[in-house]
Amino acid sequence: MFPKLDPLLHSELRLAVMSVLAGVDSADFSFIKKQTGATAGNLSVQIDKLTTAGYITVEKGFKGKMPCTTCKITPQGRDAFQAYVDALKEYLSAGLD
Amino acid sequence: MTASESLALITETLNNSRRAILRNNSKGFILWGVLLTVFSLAIYLLWHYTGSPAWNFLWFAFSAIGYPLANVIYKKDKNAPTNEIGKAIGYIWALFGVFSLTISMIAVFWVPMNLFLIIILLLGLAESISGVLLKNWPIIICGFLVGVGGAVTSCLLHTEALTLLFTLGGILLAITGLIVKSQYK
Repeated sequence: MFPKLDPLLHSELRLAVMSVLAGVDSADFSFIKKQTGATAGNLSVQIDKLTTAGYITVEKGFKGKMPCTTCKITPQGRDAFQAYVDALKEYLSAGLD
Repeated sequence: MTASESLALITETLNNSRRAILRNNSKGFILWGVLLTVFSLAIYLLWHYTGSPAWNFLWFAFSAIGYPLANVIYKKDKNAPTNEIGKAIGYIWALFGVFSLTISMIAVFWVPMNLFLIIILLLGLAESISGVLLKNWPIIICGFLVGVGGAVTSCLLHTEALTLLFTLGGILLAITGLIVKSQYK
């Protein structure tokens, strides 16, 4: 029996956002946008979904006079991401793609 | 997405953000390398032409100028995130600064010692450890050559020419920065 892939992470943009955040302490919106190549609108929607699921936290503030949105992966998000990667590896080792 | 596409996406995104962070780290190497080269050359020339080793006190201005300058450079990139490797490299060089400054104060005001040997060894060690963290053999070897080569030379030479060891160390440090910058393009 293969583990079920987390549907929330099984989306290209959400997975890319989680991958960016898995490798950093925290990242601001513009960095994530640059790394994922997403549009601001689409990225905002996906970040909201990840926040609602408790996978990331979002902090809104200002840097100087500019508004700044900083995202950070939560322990729950890190566990989910790790479980997703482990599941993918199981699929691949079983020859399923 | 298939399983292999998902894994490829994760790997690529993780690598890209790692590159962006480490590229940002190269600025520190270049800044300190250039500063070290300029300071050591200036001190060498002043010492050589005046015959006074008192010009070595200028080393205290090195950190007084370097740290505010580094602060200005990193403030420009305040949106750039950090990761564990970037932070560890930052701590290593901050500790190098603290150790060097403290030992210099002790040597100048309290217990005389071969400062050139100690500081060049610390410089080489800090560079080699940075190389280990960056998984970069040229940096590890450069650090080893600066540290061990510099320490041995500092025991053989006893003139202002010793200052030129730091010029070499500074040049290698700046080259390290350029290597990191190009490696993580």
